[in-house]
Amino acid sequence: MIKRVSLSMNPRWRKILLRGVSALIFLSLAVATAVQLAQRRAADVPLGPQQTVHTINAKVGVHTRLTDEVEPWKIKRTLEMVREMGAPWIVEYFPWAYIEEEPGRYNWVHADQVISHASRQGLTVVARLGFVPAWARPKDSSPLYLDEKHFADFGRFAAEFVKRYQGKVRYVVIWNEPNLALEWGYQPPDPLKYTAMLRTVYPMIKEANPGVQVLAGALAPTLAPPGSEFGMNDLDFLQRMYDAGAAAFFDLLAIHAYGWHFSPDDPPDPAVVNFRRTELLRDIMVKNGDGAKPAMITEGGWNDHPRWTRAVRPGQRIAYTIRAYAIAEQEWPWLDAVALWAFRYPWDQNSYQDYFTFVRTDLEPKPIYEEVQKYTQGGAP
Amino acid sequence: MTRRRWWLAGGVGAIVVLVALLWLLWPESNSPLSSLFRRDQTWQSMQARGTWRVGVDPSFPPFEQLDGAGVPIGYDIDLARRMAADWGLQVEVVAIGFDSLVDALRAAKIDSIVSAYPYDPRLTRDVAFSAPYFDAGLRLAVRDGSPIHTVKDLAGKRVAVEWGSVGDMNGRQLQRDGVTLTLVPFETPQEAVQALLDGTTVDALLVDNVTLRQAQGQGAAIEGVGAPLESNPYVVVAPSRAGDLQKRVDATLTKFGQEGVLDDLERTWFAQK
Repeated sequence: MIKRVSLSMNPRWRKILLRGVSALIFLSLAVATAVQLAQRRAADVPLGPQQTVHTINAKVGVHTRLTDEVEPWKIKRTLEMVREMGAPWIVEYFPWAYIEEEPGRYNWVHADQVISHASRQGLTVVARLGFVPAWARPKDSSPLYLDEKHFADFGRFAAEFVKRYQGKVRYVVIWNEPNLALEWGYQPPDPLKYTAMLRTVYPMIKEANPGVQVLAGALAPTLAPPGSEFGMNDLDFLQRMYDAGAAAFFDLLAIHAYGWHFSPDDPPDPAVVNFRRTELLRDIMVKNGDGAKPAMITEGGWNDHPRWTRAVRPGQRIAYTIRAYAIAEQEWPWLDAVALWAFRYPWDQNSYQDYFTFVRTDLEPKPIYEEVQKYTQGGAP
Repeated sequence: MTRRRWWLAGGVGAIVVLVALLWLLWPESNSPLSSLFRRDQTWQSMQARGTWRVGVDPSFPPFEQLDGAGVPIGYDIDLARRMAADWGLQVEVVAIGFDSLVDALRAAKIDSIVSAYPYDPRLTRDVAFSAPYFDAGLRLAVRDGSPIHTVKDLAGKRVAVEWGSVGDMNGRQLQRDGVTLTLVPFETPQEAVQALLDGTTVDALLVDNVTLRQAQGQGAAIEGVGAPLESNPYVVVAPSRAGDLQKRVDATLTKFGQEGVLDDLERTWFAQK
């Protein structure tokens, strides 16, 4: 067969073909090099001088949302604006699937950018880890599903993460809202299984970087009734974590503290989702002999969408937000930081979600940004 | 090339052309030509039922709300009824929470959304939006007869805003851009409107067009000047594959605009202006 082809090809055509293939290879290499150089240049936004955060309240924080922000200058500017607002803390999401697309092969480009710029701005990074790559879960399953046999894979990734960012990232959050079926791969929420995850992942992280603090929980505040297909009451879930022996496998409790349409001064009530539900979670920690352990609010806040049923007026949102930061500082010595959702989205969500932010996608500050800034700089709102 | 190869090449080419044609014409492919062969099942179902099932969140007066007897009323309800009547159909109002409207449309629980729904460019692959029938965006409002006609005239003026609102944000932006206005914040948009009417503390107001039109409807002697500073168009939403229904919605809205029906609805549910 080979003989026939070689015999039937006209030498002139063969020459043209060879030249064409060579040109194509050369062109491909040139394009690939140009793309690499362009990417490197894009990534090379200067870090700038080392900055520090000036604030009257060292617990002020925000959950940034830079995961899908592809433009390095916007990453830098977002983090500059966080510092300028007077917030020393950020929580940011680092999806496992984005970083370890194939087992053992890591792409740290984006994570490096976020963490380098955050460090240079003087911000303390709390890294939220989760989101399972396709290779670590069954075909067609949710990226939020992880079965027991892959807990160690997640642990290896988390260990690589804390090793790489030793000295730059001192806090990691394991998973997000495991008490919701949606966030638990559309499986019934299972505090025993989540505790088993912590039991596997925690020692691997500590072995890789003993100084890092591991946050667990990050439970969604919910009044879901027993047996609900959507979720498990966060207070019940936390107690069942303790019953399963979770206390030895985390260093801080991550809390989600949404206020919905209630004032931050409304008293805690197990039948209500409000900001001071935080105190109920704290009570469970104390009741289980875990009172020496601190907590941190890694999500929370108010929304001022004009039509969303859980929203408040924009002015209320400003007043409640500033009051929430003040409560954390004045009343809750056991709480390290309050990182409210969400500083800015890379693009408009075109839903009520846009009304949680402090800064618009075009980096235009909202009034709440300027009022919080006024507060952190010691001015009256 | 040998004769045999010519046949082979011809055969492969014919298969490629056949597959391409099938893709272009297949009703479910979403190709440009497939719409010629695709039936609009939404429109056909509406015809068979004799009703247009419209999703509404009845919590946004005056566009939609429930009256004392729990019956949905409002601008959008009247708009939907008049459109359906134009097509020889009745309207069936389905009350759904605002955040679930698009999901209900995708699941074919409703035929359309007519619920002061803002145009959303990120959903244009999933659903079809009509031309706008109302712009709820940010307006500069002044007392009748005011010498203020544009934002440039706000230099040295006092401007009322709801604290923290889009109007507040735009006012701060104007200040950063060098317009020497003074912002006067209020807890609610209604208080800001009242301050403008009182005539002593502020000269102008930055407010959304729904609040402005409601104030005018209650007799406030104020007017919006210039185009919206930020647009927020309300549209009718239909399933992406309901080509016949989409054409009828757009044609009827255009006709209503020309015939003054939309103006009538504004007069009924807002103001005389």
